[in-house]
Amino acid sequence: MRRLLDIIGLQAGYGASRVLNDLSLHIDEGESIGLFGPNGHGKSTLLKAISGLLRPTAGSIAFDGKDITTQRPPSIVAAGLIHAPQGNTLFGNMRIAETLELAAFSKRAKAEAGRHLEEVYALFPRLAERKQQFARTLSGGERQMLSIGCALMCAPRLLMLDEPTLGLSPRLKEELAAAIAKISKTGVPLIVVEQDVEFLLSLTDRLYMIEHGEVVREISSANAPDHEEVMRLYFGAEGAH
Amino acid sequence: MDALLATLVSGLVLGSLYALMSSGLSLVWTTLGVFNFSHGALMMVGAFVAWTVSEILGLGPVTGILSGTLAAGLIGIIIERLLVRPFYSNRNMLLITAMTTLAAMVILERGAQMIWGARLKQLPRLIPGEVQILGTTISAHEALLIVLAPLILVALWRFTVMTNRGRSLRAVGQNQDSAALLGIDVPVAFALAFGISAALAGLTGALLGSIRFITPTMGSEPLTKAMIVVIFGGLGNLGATAGAAYLIGFIEAFLIFGLGLYWTPFVLFLLMILVLLFRPNGVFGGK
Ligand SMILES: Nc1ncnc2c1ncn2[C@@H]1O[C@H](COP(=O)(O)OP(=O)(O)OP(=O)(O)O)[C@@H](O)[C@H]1O
Ligand SMILES: [Mg+2]
Repeated sequence: MRRLLDIIGLQAGYGASRVLNDLSLHIDEGESIGLFGPNGHGKSTLLKAISGLLRPTAGSIAFDGKDITTQRPPSIVAAGLIHAPQGNTLFGNMRIAETLELAAFSKRAKAEAGRHLEEVYALFPRLAERKQQFARTLSGGERQMLSIGCALMCAPRLLMLDEPTLGLSPRLKEELAAAIAKISKTGVPLIVVEQDVEFLLSLTDRLYMIEHGEVVREISSANAPDHEEVMRLYFGAEGAH
Repeated sequence: MDALLATLVSGLVLGSLYALMSSGLSLVWTTLGVFNFSHGALMMVGAFVAWTVSEILGLGPVTGILSGTLAAGLIGIIIERLLVRPFYSNRNMLLITAMTTLAAMVILERGAQMIWGARLKQLPRLIPGEVQILGTTISAHEALLIVLAPLILVALWRFTVMTNRGRSLRAVGQNQDSAALLGIDVPVAFALAFGISAALAGLTGALLGSIRFITPTMGSEPLTKAMIVVIFGGLGNLGATAGAAYLIGFIEAFLIFGLGLYWTPFVLFLLMILVLLFRPNGVFGGK
């Protein structure tokens, strides 16, 4: 089967400290994956390395059959590999509407900006009600919606969401989870980082558990572990650390 | 009454000059977080290139002014590339680039001295003749400056608010990583901001070249004034910067009228220190 994303032996870090150690994972055509694992073990770092914010020191990343290991963010975004980073504050002194319009920056995205804007406003009516509000005045949930909305404006062919429901109330979390499920149903493949394994199991086809910058376990949603095993996996992993 | 109106008009001319200079300075600050000390020298380069193209090559003042604008813009991009970009990720970037852009200023001023010499030069006026404004007679060229400055400011404002290319400059200034993840090329945005800012300085110099004498150090006084303006306006907001530019223009004109040329800079700097003490975010800034 053709692979949409293929990561082999990836190493990356910040200055002298290495965070990703020989990490390999892949996404097949037509599937979505989830990433989970204890805090500070390199999930966000992995997404940064994929989107070009961080240059890998070894290994390779191929997207849609093309090597993108050393490419910079503009060409990675142009190819349709889009990253909504963790806790994205975007641009405080910009209004919602102009931020979304700006997000259709690449040529490919610009061509469909009008249609995408309507889709984003339909998906997140709260954003439509606040078009002229400055990003710095948004609530945490609204900010997440804007971040995901921006990612959709980029015309994603693979969408990476880093903890899209972090720090939200249960009600708001449900609202966002439903929106993400809708996005997935429109046929956009996802990489979702979340601590809530059950949410990931319901949303994606496969899960990777990441620890110490490596994949330590792969789980398929088809024969998913029960709640208890997930808990053991999680806390066992954190306890071992 | 006549003296009052004349002072107002002269404040308007000064304000236009300061608005053009300080808006460029402010654009570089908001996009890169760098204070460009070579901004005045870039203005001087614009004036000399305009003079050379217009008077030595004989291509006329319009071609001259366009060439001066373009030349300053290109040199601005080169300065960004060679003297600012290497220090982006440095923790002391602000301090280092203050030094490197000061170095650029010295190099440009000495270079101009070598190329064009010390003899005073002046461009012919773009429009000959004189016009009456508020009962005061000024040269048509100065009137052109008064009209052109707000037009250019509005164009710059529209660019940064209405177009994605212009918005990308603001975005990069506020959050580089988020901007990059939308496909915005951060170094390109930096170069563009520097280029536009330098081109604005060059245009100002070329226009000023028919009102004042063109000398290698002609940019240092406007740079100082533009610095006072951005401190008055609060760094970062184009509208506030423009407002502060005209305010300083008027204050300076009235100070010259009331106190004379000698004490005016003294009082202006005193005002600047007071603003820094009591309204550190600028006269129009929040808090
Ligand atoms: N900009 C940075 N500079 C230096 N170290 C960093 C930087 N960002 C992250 N790190 C370090 O890299 C390691 C991995 O961080 P990362 O953000 O990838 O973890 P994570 O798995 O996403 O954690 P979380 O679940 O808390 O989001 C951590 O030890 C962190 O302190
Ligand atoms: Mg993280």
